Amino acid sequence: MNQFQYVRPTKAQAAIDAVAKDATASFIAGGTNLVDLMKRGVMTPQKLVDINRLPFAKIERENNGLRIGALALNSAVADDKQVREKQPLLALALNAGASAQLRNMATVGGNMMQRTRCPYFYDTTMPCNKRQPGTGCGALEGINRMHAIFGFSDKCIAVHPSDMSVALVALDATVLVSGPKGDRRVAFADFHRLPGDMPQKDTNLEPGELITAVDIPDGPFTKHVSYYKVRERASYAFALVSAAAALELDGNTIKAARLALGGVAHKPWRLTAAEQMLVGKPATEATFQQAAEVAMQGAKAFKHNAYKLKLAPNTLIQALKTATAA
Amino acid sequence: MNTLKKQIGAGMNRVDGRLKVTGAATYSAEYELPGITYAVLVGSTIAKGRLTSIDTKAAERAPGVLAVITYLNAPKLPGPKPEGKDPSQPQTVGNPLQVLANDRIRFNDQPIAVVVADTLERARYAAGLVKAQYAQEAHQTNLEANKEKAFLPTQAKKNPKSPAADYQRGQVDAYKTGALKLEAEYVIPTEVHHPMELQAITAHWEAPDRLTLYDKTQGTMATRRDFAKQWGLPEANVKVIATFVGGAFGNALHSWPHESAAVMAAKVVNRPVKLMLTREQMFTMVGYRPYTWQKIGMSATADGKITAITHESIGQTSTYEEFTESTLGQTRMMYQSPNLTTRYRLAALDIGSPIWMRGPGEATGAFALESAMDEMAFLLKIDPMEFRLRNYTDQDPEKNKPWSSKYLKECYQAGAERIGWNKRQLKPGMLRDGEWLVGYGMGVGTFGAHRGSSKAAAQLLPNGTVLLQSAVTDIGPGTGTAMTQIAADTLGLAPERIRFEWGNSDFAQAPTQGGSAIVNTVGPAVQDACLALKDKLRELAAASNGAFAAARKEDVAFADGYLTLNGNPTARANYADLVKQAGGTAVTVESKAGSDGQKYSMYSFSVHFAEVRVHPLTGEVRVSKLVSCADAGTIINEKTAGNQMKGGAVGGIGMALMEHAIIDDRFGRYITKDLADYHVPVHADAPAVEVFFVNQPDPYVNALGTKGIGEIATIGVAPAIANAVFNATGKRVRELPITPDKLI
Amino acid sequence: MNTEPKVPANHDDNRRTFLKQSSLLTALAFVPGPVASAAAAKLDERVSEAFEQVPLSLKVNGKKYKLKVEPRTTLLDLLRENLNLNGTKKGCDYGQCGACTVYVDGQRVNSCLSFAVMHDGKEITTIEGLADGDQLHPMQEAFVKHDGFQCGYCTPGQIMSAVACVREGHADSEGEIREYMSGNICRCGAYTNIVAAIQEVKNGGKKV
Repeated sequence: MNQFQYVRPTKAQAAIDAVAKDATASFIAGGTNLVDLMKRGVMTPQKLVDINRLPFAKIERENNGLRIGALALNSAVADDKQVREKQPLLALALNAGASAQLRNMATVGGNMMQRTRCPYFYDTTMPCNKRQPGTGCGALEGINRMHAIFGFSDKCIAVHPSDMSVALVALDATVLVSGPKGDRRVAFADFHRLPGDMPQKDTNLEPGELITAVDIPDGPFTKHVSYYKVRERASYAFALVSAAAALELDGNTIKAARLALGGVAHKPWRLTAAEQMLVGKPATEATFQQAAEVAMQGAKAFKHNAYKLKLAPNTLIQALKTATAA
Repeated sequence: MNTLKKQIGAGMNRVDGRLKVTGAATYSAEYELPGITYAVLVGSTIAKGRLTSIDTKAAERAPGVLAVITYLNAPKLPGPKPEGKDPSQPQTVGNPLQVLANDRIRFNDQPIAVVVADTLERARYAAGLVKAQYAQEAHQTNLEANKEKAFLPTQAKKNPKSPAADYQRGQVDAYKTGALKLEAEYVIPTEVHHPMELQAITAHWEAPDRLTLYDKTQGTMATRRDFAKQWGLPEANVKVIATFVGGAFGNALHSWPHESAAVMAAKVVNRPVKLMLTREQMFTMVGYRPYTWQKIGMSATADGKITAITHESIGQTSTYEEFTESTLGQTRMMYQSPNLTTRYRLAALDIGSPIWMRGPGEATGAFALESAMDEMAFLLKIDPMEFRLRNYTDQDPEKNKPWSSKYLKECYQAGAERIGWNKRQLKPGMLRDGEWLVGYGMGVGTFGAHRGSSKAAAQLLPNGTVLLQSAVTDIGPGTGTAMTQIAADTLGLAPERIRFEWGNSDFAQAPTQGGSAIVNTVGPAVQDACLALKDKLRELAAASNGAFAAARKEDVAFADGYLTLNGNPTARANYADLVKQAGGTAVTVESKAGSDGQKYSMYSFSVHFAEVRVHPLTGEVRVSKLVSCADAGTIINEKTAGNQMKGGAVGGIGMALMEHAIIDDRFGRYITKDLADYHVPVHADAPAVEVFFVNQPDPYVNALGTKGIGEIATIGVAPAIANAVFNATGKRVRELPITPDKLI
Repeated sequence: MNTEPKVPANHDDNRRTFLKQSSLLTALAFVPGPVASAAAAKLDERVSEAFEQVPLSLKVNGKKYKLKVEPRTTLLDLLRENLNLNGTKKGCDYGQCGACTVYVDGQRVNSCLSFAVMHDGKEITTIEGLADGDQLHPMQEAFVKHDGFQCGYCTPGQIMSAVACVREGHADSEGEIREYMSGNICRCGAYTNIVAAIQEVKNGGKKV
């Protein structure tokens, strides 16, 4: 690993300045992904700006919703009483990710900033446009069983690994950002981006911008929720496919729905059309199947991930069934 | 009177338990030596070709760097290459990779340089600065694409009786003409041992001609022999210490390139060198269970008698070593088939050499055979356990010899009761638990009850305690504990007064730990050493005490620390007093198998029963219950032996459901590089495994009656799960692992 | 007592420039005279140390340490290679096995995935700090009794995690224990016995 400079500012502005002024600098919070990537030479920041002691770890009520500080630990959020009451889907998604130890380290902001787990991204001897633009996509013609079926480009077919983000995109969260040019709010659905011609850019953050919090508006999704994650073992693995489902039911009739998939695209994949299709329909398997068909429109598989064309809708149906029964 | 509790059989706690739970157990990268330095390997980035240049300048100039060694400046070794083989296994043909010896690249990530620095961070950084250029050649890393080039192993060509040679009884491929027949192909992907401890070595030249290695190895003596040869030293000048080995499962049965590199580095910098592999390197240079293609043809009569089996296999090996394992052995002896054909072939690929991985070839072969048994039973509409019973062998049909002991039927019965086999339906997909489909399956395992030769040293110390020493390692099964129990019962001493020391090549000769043979082999040596020690005590008592001198041998009793005489309550000799008088009692004895191995066929047997739940929508499989039953002879320690069985079952879950190392053949390079890509079972994957031991002594393997557990604990588990998945879903998965994509 | 972080808030340009270089010699042009001449005198070690090491105060198992470390030293490597606390194990170095589990201010974490400097002023507990002198922690005793290990390499991490699992209130059922212990891999497969040990401690009523 490269030697690097380490600074630990106590003011957010100092942290932002430090990263904004230096293209080789990076924020570090929990470190669970960045340290891993630095060990393998995938990321080589020359300066680390440790933000852990900035005051962004609170979970509080704010404007008819929850404001979750960017430095709140994944475990703290998952165990938080308000989160479990108001946004149980988020707690479920968080607990489906990583391990208890990692959740004690990983922060909300860091979770969103995770890089892809694509093996070609992780091996510096292999081609990867995300790691090294212009080298090609190793996965396109390679072993792509873990890869995207939506929203990919010929430059990159990687998927985003976060579980938490799948819940947050479904819950219409907003990301609060501070940067060299001031503060701004970014809809969660616009936070991550599709690879297009610039797969090296995972998010729409500008250089030096720091996530300070995530706002989640209160909603009716306090009971009928499910985060169903299919992986190659029972725990502690990244998703093959995951589905977040949140329903508001009136008897057996769906009044409102929020749906998103993980493990299928370069960003958490919100399923707005399928949500709309569900409204007013009975919460039955037949309805869920129709929603899954709508959800899968436009999906396309590669050599090794055709199973996702079936696993994704099935997982979505299962999540809807589980949410209904919850 | 001897009031001591009998230790054999009892679930005694491990003698090293306290060290392990307090973090005080010292593994090979944890020895504090003055002036320690750190070595990091640089690996090739091509699979085949030659190095055309290697630029080490930047690495050499980096802070703290003491040496950068490549084939251009590596010390030329006087001796031949290392071997390091498990004597209970067939020998391989070819030469292990000689590290940093020339410009030739034989597999991706082959070490091309070793960087030594004063701290780990600096060594790791500098290793990243080494730049190499290559003349690349076309590589082959895919077995399926190379099946046509598969060849008969050299050992089979030389010796038609070799286990790797073609085998025939009755007519060749007779299944083809059978009335009811099955033909199916099975694939086991490359699996990697991945013990939790990364392969590590600390190499220390204590003098220019004296080498001490703290090494992760399953055989201290094999490793000593390898490095003595490599450096042209007398074996007495090389000491190998492996007191604690953080798991190995076979991958420390061979001396690997990183060990040679560390020894070389220590020579060059003239300081102790510590080298620990990365998890990536654990895929590429310390062996793996080879990708194996198999085909089974089987025919049977309508009433469930097998008439013929043909079992063929092609296993992967490297271009420089012919690795063989007993993939087809179980097929030759497990079922009563009058016609039987086996053909074993190898395909050489540009990948590092494989090495035996727990249950080795037998586990691979059992997946095919036991899946085929289930498939045939289904075709015949016979319960798969009943089908196995109808083809049960009362003597070894391969060797035409009686079994030394076989209690497999007892295992079937015990397992069937415990799993609830009567709930199983012949027709798949009939049982549900909520949304989940439920199925039951079974798989049988067997492994040779091997016994080699071993020595053990025993001495009574002046404080009345006994010190035993053996070069054997304990990679996890609890060898030290079992030996302490054997000694306690033999000597009539409380286990607290016995100290068994292991893991040092200077101790009494013992074989490499592997092939389920250690208790079979070292156990009797410990027993014999203790008996010899008792003889010595008897002599000493006789020399100093008239009552003992006059007594018959059989009247001398050994109680807790005393010799007593039957019928003479006043005669009493204290062990401690005797040793003080004698000034020492050291004995070393050698034990080896007698001739019973010629007369009997010796195997351990197991059967595993699995209950699985399969999600019909998502294809997730959960093993909800596992029962493992073993006929492993006498059980020395129910607690540790049971633990080993449970662990083998968990290994089988990994094999069945998740383990697969994947290479991108375009680059000839693994894309599974760590434990996030290569899944092994976690807590949530493992049900509470129930274990049943027949616990009947084998009369012939050794005087203890043991047969061995380590391999049969895992052999047969994967097919039990695969068969249960079929029973739950009607889907037959013949290519492991059974991941969700294969079931939806 | 926590000590104030001693990491300089601003680093001078020379240092920064140095750190961008892969070799010491190329940096010499930018560093002050005495340092350069020290390097010229082949005192590479001292020069590079002056540039690379930062102060760090830690309390480990109740003992205070004032250290100087490279920022790139992980907490795990610091414990093992600098403090000789080898009970904390390196099993993967990527947060994928749990063998390196320690407590930072009482919370279980993977020590391989953070830099030691990030824990300045914090309290670390390792397996060596779990027992009360010679008296084993109840979880350690239960692991011995239930044989919750084989090779022993993952064991310190399992035990640290097991104690945390009970303390966190995530040991109410076998299923919950399995889920919350899934970050600790045991390749020997002693899971059945580990779960039994945790249940015994959880139900045993002793303070953990």
